[in-house]
Formats: sequence, C-alpha cells, structure tokens
Amino acid sequence: MSASTSPIVGKLDWTVTPYTDLLHQVNSSTIVGAGAASVLVLGAVAGGAVLTWMRWWGPLYRNWLTSADAKKIGIMYIALALVMLARGIIEGFVMRAHQATALGTLTEPESGLVAPDHFAQLFSTHGTIMIFFVAMPLLIGLINFVLPQQLGARDMAFPVLNQVSLGLTAAGAGLVMISLLIGKFGTGGWTMYPPYTGIQYSPGEGVDYWLWAILISGMGSTLTGMNFAVTIFKSRAPGMNFMRMPLFCWTSLCVAIMLIYAMPALTVSSAMLALDRYAGFHFFTNEAGGNMMNYANIFWMFGHPEVYILILPAFGVFSEISSTFSGKKLYGYTSLVIASMSIAVISFTVWLHHFFTMGQSAGVNIAFGIATMIIGIPTGVKIYDWMATLWRGRVRITAPIVYLTGFFLLFVIGGLSGIILANPSIDYQVHNSTFLVAHFHNVIIPGVLYGMLAGIHYWFPKAFGFRLDERWGRRTALLFVGGFVFTFMPLYVLGLMGMPRRSPTFQNPDFLPWMYVASFGAVLMLGALASLVWTFWTSYRNRAALAVPGGDPWNGATLEWSTPAPVPKWTFARIPEVKARDDWGETKRAGDPWKAPEGYDDIEMPADTPHGLLIAGAAFALGFAMVWHIWWLAALGFLAIPALLAWRGMKVIEPRIIPAAEVEEADRRFRATVASLAPATRADEESERNRGRPDLAEFAG
Amino acid sequence: MTKSNTGMVDPQESAAKELKTYALGFAASVLLTGVAFAAAISDLPAVWKVGIICLAALLQIVAHLRNFLHLSFSGGQSREDLLLVLFSVTLLAIMAGGTWYIMADLGGRMHEKGMMPHEASP
Repeated sequence: MSASTSPIVGKLDWTVTPYTDLLHQVNSSTIVGAGAASVLVLGAVAGGAVLTWMRWWGPLYRNWLTSADAKKIGIMYIALALVMLARGIIEGFVMRAHQATALGTLTEPESGLVAPDHFAQLFSTHGTIMIFFVAMPLLIGLINFVLPQQLGARDMAFPVLNQVSLGLTAAGAGLVMISLLIGKFGTGGWTMYPPYTGIQYSPGEGVDYWLWAILISGMGSTLTGMNFAVTIFKSRAPGMNFMRMPLFCWTSLCVAIMLIYAMPALTVSSAMLALDRYAGFHFFTNEAGGNMMNYANIFWMFGHPEVYILILPAFGVFSEISSTFSGKKLYGYTSLVIASMSIAVISFTVWLHHFFTMGQSAGVNIAFGIATMIIGIPTGVKIYDWMATLWRGRVRITAPIVYLTGFFLLFVIGGLSGIILANPSIDYQVHNSTFLVAHFHNVIIPGVLYGMLAGIHYWFPKAFGFRLDERWGRRTALLFVGGFVFTFMPLYVLGLMGMPRRSPTFQNPDFLPWMYVASFGAVLMLGALASLVWTFWTSYRNRAALAVPGGDPWNGATLEWSTPAPVPKWTFARIPEVKARDDWGETKRAGDPWKAPEGYDDIEMPADTPHGLLIAGAAFALGFAMVWHIWWLAALGFLAIPALLAWRGMKVIEPRIIPAAEVEEADRRFRATVASLAPATRADEESERNRGRPDLAEFAG
Repeated sequence: MTKSNTGMVDPQESAAKELKTYALGFAASVLLTGVAFAAAISDLPAVWKVGIICLAALLQIVAHLRNFLHLSFSGGQSREDLLLVLFSVTLLAIMAGGTWYIMADLGGRMHEKGMMPHEASP
C-alpha cells in the first residue's frame, strides 16, 4: 500500500496483492494467501469461460439477474450462500490445520501453517462470511422461495426492492471476496471491536472492507425484512388468516420483525465506527470523550436478535419436515406460534450476555442473565413439540429427517451450554475461551446449517422439478453431523483447559491431542462439503429418473405442494381460496385435489428490470472506492444510487401480462400429467416410482 | 383482480392531496433539521442543546410517520397502526433504556463525573 493517496487510484498500487508478499518471502503463510487469491482468480476466469463457451451470458442476464421473481431471487441468494459457504468451510479447515501445528516452543514461540496476522484475517473473514454471507443469504433465500408459495401469493409485496436487496447483499459479499486478492481483510474478529479497529491501531484497508461490506449488505437485509413483513401482512391469499399460516410463515414473520428492528443497530454502530475512521470522530476512541464500550453495547443490540434471525427459519423448516415426513399433523401449532413470537420479542432483551465481563456491576449482569435463561424456555417448548410430532408417526428416514435428528441431539447440547454461559459467574471463567467457540458453533451449525440444508433438500424439487438423491443426501447429513462432533466437541474440552479463542499459537502440549481430533473433524467437514456438491451434481445427472412433474413428492399438506414442479413463474394458475390450516391437506382429504379451477384470468407479473443489478454495481463501486480512498469513484457511486432511484421513479413501467390462455394451457397440461401418473406410496418415496403424485389414501397429515 | 385488505385508493382522486401531504412533511423535516443545526451552532448551554436536538428529532420522526408513511390513528388501518406504534415504542424503549442502564452503570463504575463526555474530561 502506498503512503500517499493518488487522486485517481487512491491508495491502490501493485504491492497490495498477496503475490507481492509471496515474492518477498516464501513460507507456508504466503503460499496459503497467494493460493486463496489464485482460487478466486481462477474461479472467476473459469466461471466466465464456462458462461462464454456455453453462451450462457444472455440467458443468465435475461432469466436470472434481471428477474424480479421472488422464487428466482431466492435461488440466487442460496447460490451465493453456497459459494460463500465453500470459502467459509475451507477457511475453517485452514484454521484447524494451523492450530494443529501451532504448538510453540521456547525457542520458537510462533509456529504453524500461517502467520499470526494471517490467522487473524482468517478468523475475521470466517466469522463475517459465515454469519452475513452464508447464514443470512441462505435463510433469506429460502424464505424468498417458500414464503409467497405458502401464503398463496404470486410474489413478494415489493419485487424490485427484493432484487435491490439481493444486489446489496451480493455487493457486500463481493467486497469480502475481493479482499482475498486486493489488500487485506481486518483482523478484529467478526465483531470488529474498537479501539483496536479504530484508525490509530488498525490503519489500512482491512477494517474498512468489513465496514463497507456490513453497511451495504445490512441495508439490503433491512429492506428484505420490510418486504417480508409487508408480504405477510398484505399479500396472503383470501381466507389465509394468521392462524392458518404454515409455521414457516410464522417464523418468517418473526425474522422480518427482528430484521427491521435489529439491523439498524448494526448500521448505526458500523456508521459510527466509519465516522471515527474516516472523519476523525471520537465515538469509540480512547481520548476526547469517546467510549468504546458503547460499540459492544450497540453491536450486540443487533447481534443477539441476529442469532434468532438465523435460527428461527430453521425452526420453521423443522416444523414443516417433522410433520410431512412423519405423516402427521404438526403437534402444538399454537404453542409453536406463541413460542416463536416470544423468542422474537425476548431476543431484544438479552444482548448484554455477550459482554458480561466488560465491567458493569453484578446487578446488571444478573438482570440480563435471567432474561437469557428465560429465552431457553420457548426453545425447549419447540423441541418437545417436534418430538411429539414424530411420536407414533410413520417416520421416513429421508435426508431432512437425518438433519432433524442431528439437530435434536446436538442443538440441545449447544442450548444447554448456552444456559451454562448465561450464568455470569460461570461466564467469567470461560469467556473468551474455545468453550465459547464450541458453544456458538454448536447452536449455529446444527441449527442454521442443518435446518437450511434440510429445507433445501425438502423444497429442491419445487424449484427444479427433480428430487435430490436421497442416499447422497443422507451421507452429506451424516458427514456434517460427524464433522461437527469431531471438530467442536474437543473445543469444549480445550476451553475448559484454558485455551483462549483466536490464539494463533499455544505453549501447552496437553492441547495437542484435542487439536488433532478437531482437525480430523475439519477433514470430515470438507468431506461433507464435497459430498454436498456431489449430491447436487449426481442428482442433476439423474434428473430424468428423479423428476417429479406431479409436484407433490412428499405427500405434503401446505399450499406450495399443489403446484407443478418446477413451479411456473406465476406460481398459482389461480390464487387459492384457503379454507383451513394445511389447506392442501384438507383438499386431499376432501377427494380430488387436482381438480381444475373454474376459470382463468390474465396474470399481472412484475416486468424484468436491471434496476437491482445497477444499484448493486453502484453500491460495490462505492464500497470499494471508500476502502481504497478513491474519492471520485466513491462520489460517483454515492450519487448513482439516488439517481437510479429517481430515474426509475420517473419512468412509466408496464407490468408483464400473462394472458389467461397461456396460463390455462399450461395448467391443463399439468393436470393431464398428474392424471397420467401412477400414485406413489410412502414405501416408493425414494424410488423412481415417485413422480410427484402421492397416494392420497396414505395422507394422514 | 381486487386485492383484499390492501386499502388501495383511487390514484387520480388522491394525487393532489398526497402531494400536499408530502410537501408539508418535507418542509417540516427541513425546518426541524435546521433547528437542530442552529441549536448545535448556538451558544446555549449543552443541556439545552441536547434537549432541543432530541425534541427536533422526535418531532421529525412524527412528521415522517404521518406525512410519508401515512400512519394515522383514524381510518381503516387505525388498529394496525396503533399496534405497530406501540410495538415499535416498546422495542425502542428496551434498546434506549437498556443502553442508558448499562452505560450509566459502567460510567458509575469508572467514576465518570457526569453523563456529558466533555464534563468528564479534565
């Protein structure tokens, strides 16, 4: 990085890439850094080459990037999340590999695969990516895909805003990705606490990369929350009153509420830190009346609702699959609704438990410790409800059920260690140790990751028209369960033995055996990632055998299973009249559920637009320019966003009308297909005989 | 196709009224922002400055909710709007009150003399 700022390229010059470090000094750390940058470059080149070779640029632009269809936006969110997941898991593996070789000696206190500063970048990007660019896009994507279908709506309330949200999230992810190649990422952990991340102790671009990625993607998440809330309040099908909504819609509503009220706190704390760094403010500095403790306070005001934003959609998914795959009605619907809403509200009252040791008096700690223990109660209610749903049901051990079982076993352990940590006096002993690392991985991996992967497995046929391979799905699930157990259970032990988190080296040889076990777990996690990729690939190759044109492969009970697979862009040929909770199930019970509607109307769909793409480009330019102090580009990006909004506001935009005849033709074809299919029984669910028309006699949900 | 429970209104009829509401809200917002800046520049005691800025901020929130977000306690959506306001106020009270509680406690433990940062510095 150059010392002076050029008016044209800011602080950028040719020394910012990891290749320069490699030229200066060849060791394992610089090789890992340059290797990661090369993977990024080669991946981008290979992706571009494939798109050019297959002539996919046009279709990609026309059918996906400019689409305002919530289902496609959801799929793009999930694709983004899976790419970032790959990077996150590989980074986790590198950190485990590093710590397994990081036993320092008196003569050589620092050893291991990567340099300490590089290690700090790894845990900072790993956390940032996994929370903001894996978990969030996974759940937002799944909600985008499923929510309108379950509500009986054609689309989100604001389809173009939805596109903008996706664009902003992708721009943030792009900033984190490009930090692999250009410059360095911050080293302050995913929370980036000042004063360490203030300009005095962390000059340079690292913290700025984090700030702009968070500011931009956080804005997208806030907008998404508003979109979800308005969709749930205003776009339900006629007759779909609140207590008829499937549970996934309820948890989506909780997520929407929390996104709306929690994300601004993150935007505020990041903006204050940005003002400190760029404009010489003193919100969080040591001098001039700044108070860095307020950063932790505001950050976790967002941070705690955030963990429930992450977990509640998974709870929604588990509610759906426990009911569907045991062929029973969901046990305790009302109690699950009350529990979800309680969690949504109580999650705003516990944030101090993330900084029990910051120095406030015991009374304050106790107040928040009690609130933290209280929030365990509604979560416990839910676990019992799902177990009661499975109880005496005809449970099929499909991949989602393997995830659910893994979730039961592991999440309860993670929840219990959370209750232990909720006691301030115990927290004083284990805070900042790997015990904490084990705890939050123990709730986030079995909760969010298993839940989202189970959901992807469950709704995949609805998106693409064919099922995922069950055998490989189960193998992936088991690898993720085993990988989790071997990677993180040793960290509980290490934490109790006194190993601090985020330490690039350690001197106690007793730690080493546990480190080896954890590294073995990390290998299993890599295997799980590979197995996940293979599941998609092998299912794609066998898509003819796995096709489910009937659209209802699991004998489901909610509205989304009434439509063809893959679901047409207008979703419902006619908006259903909802008469009961689990309306599709009730229709099955009443007899012929695939009866054609009485008439068809023209359908109004939002027109395709590159609006979101342009805003994403402007936001990315703004973020990148601010990171590197390229002021002219920053000004351009900053002004382009309102200009684009104004431009769109002044244009007359006609919606796309799909004529009734086209809808009718497609719908009649679907109904003829269903009529021609042989009903598949539960026993045939995994075989080729399952074409998406279940045996109605077996429906008991 | 009609949309249930959206409360959509005829655009032609309400356009002029809409525009007036927006213009009024915009003028009020600009004015209140000006008041806040004027207070910051003025020679008033710090407590007054903070008080005036807070008041201007609260009034501006009300102006935004009324004129831009069409919140009202009379009409078709009054009950929903009331619940929304109550819920928001509850959550914001938790956040603001909690911050006050935590930061005041921390300040007390650090023997901070007053709540104002410049008073605490020597």
